Amino acid sequence: MAIKFPSVEFFQELARRMEAKSAEFEKLGFCDTVMGVRVEGDTSHLYALTFDVFECSNVREISHAGDVELDFTLAAPRALWREMFESIQKHGQPEPGYTLNSLSHVGDRMEVVYDDPEGHDKFYRFMATLQAFVDLASDLEIEWV
Amino acid sequence: MSYYGSTDFSYNSDFNLRIRDIKKGNLDFGWLDNTRDKVEIRRRDARRGLALSDCEVGPYSIENSPEIVRDNRGLAPRGAILAEGSDQPDLGPTLNRKTDVWGYRVQSYWEEAMSRQWNVTTDVPWQDMDKYEIPDEVELAFCQLCTLLSEVEMIATDLPAKWSHHMNSYFQEVKGFIATQCVDEARHAEVFRKRALANGVGLLRASVRGEHALKGILEADSYSEGSVFLHVLGEGFILTLFRSSEFISPTPVEQRMFQLVMQDEARHVSYGLQHLRYLMDNCPEIRPQINGFLDEAERHLTGLFNPDQLESMIVLGGKGTSPECIKRGIEVVGAFQGKQIQEYFQRADRAGLPERRDRSPLLELQERMIGMIQAS
Repeated sequence: MAIKFPSVEFFQELARRMEAKSAEFEKLGFCDTVMGVRVEGDTSHLYALTFDVFECSNVREISHAGDVELDFTLAAPRALWREMFESIQKHGQPEPGYTLNSLSHVGDRMEVVYDDPEGHDKFYRFMATLQAFVDLASDLEIEWV
Repeated sequence: MSYYGSTDFSYNSDFNLRIRDIKKGNLDFGWLDNTRDKVEIRRRDARRGLALSDCEVGPYSIENSPEIVRDNRGLAPRGAILAEGSDQPDLGPTLNRKTDVWGYRVQSYWEEAMSRQWNVTTDVPWQDMDKYEIPDEVELAFCQLCTLLSEVEMIATDLPAKWSHHMNSYFQEVKGFIATQCVDEARHAEVFRKRALANGVGLLRASVRGEHALKGILEADSYSEGSVFLHVLGEGFILTLFRSSEFISPTPVEQRMFQLVMQDEARHVSYGLQHLRYLMDNCPEIRPQINGFLDEAERHLTGLFNPDQLESMIVLGGKGTSPECIKRGIEVVGAFQGKQIQEYFQRADRAGLPERRDRSPLLELQERMIGMIQAS
């Protein structure tokens, strides 16, 4: 059954898959951060994903960034998120221009929003885990809404 | 041999008689005379195993240690029972104040480092390299970049190694963390060496200017100066360089390599930032010294923007050497250099040194360098 993007259920499914592949994520190591995902469009959505040790233990949709203490937020238009996930689905991993780092580095296609540089640095400290997390969508049936 | 102990135990009759006695079964259990009260250790999160923070109790806790360690100058770990009198040898630690080395959350960085180790030989998908064709000029540029990065990683291994034995052993978490940094940096030098050689081109030109900059890190007069230069300034810049290198990597193999190295680098930056913050919070009188040091260190660092490295980054950023490619490459490199400097200023702000924005020569130097390249 297709899962809508963007939705809480979408990220919960990735969290479930992360748990199912626990050995892979345990090898990548501890990951302790609260990441925001903002999907911008006519109706924008902001999700707070709590990564705790080896799992994504909580997924919530929040109204404002201040509702939860986010270390950093990845913000991009809905179309770009779709391009990224379609690239992952096509190749099993993102094409070079569609890794989280590449999208957010030069050109600011995906913006990294943060208040505290220490929170910002967590994006890089846990990069391999966060990339592996979004890569879990590679064979997910997605309904783009 | 440069150290001869005050007692030669192999010829000490009291010692030898005692050992013989023990071997006969005559134990006196004197080592249990002064045991401490038992402590209650609680594993707060079973998924993490037994964490260092779980062991922060009673006399073992850093919180219960004095700001200046005077009683221990040997190898005793914090909480161990020291011999009475002056029997414990003096190993001459010079970093005995907590502010000399400590950083907020250093225990968690050590734990994170241990759990996020990786292996160059098996965790980079070297087997995929044959799937991709890389233009010769791009491969050459990548190998030039790998050469500079190998030099950088050498100094980042040596700096923590140089200071570790100067640290009082009561600061075990810092010694442990910088030991993981040595391993991380050695691994980075390994991965860049292997990648330079993997397609046959090999290592290219070593950097004179770059090595002068790196020498400045190694020759810092104090650990805190070395740390702010290496961890906050140098590795902060290199972290952004790694991000850029992932962005301009010719294939997913190099992207994976940079995703892994950037994690380690960001952890070192975080420790450096927390050491600087701790220092500024608890030893504010050192601010003029750190600022004076950074005035010079920031000038030194521009050596890393040497022409060989800059040109190779431009070729990689533009993915070739045609005029259009070079134009694109200059834009990419200009954008990431701007980020390097801005992110450094943000970290300096966070650590309590907002004046770096006004004092630093970095912005002017960057503008001059980009202007020169555009003019040429």
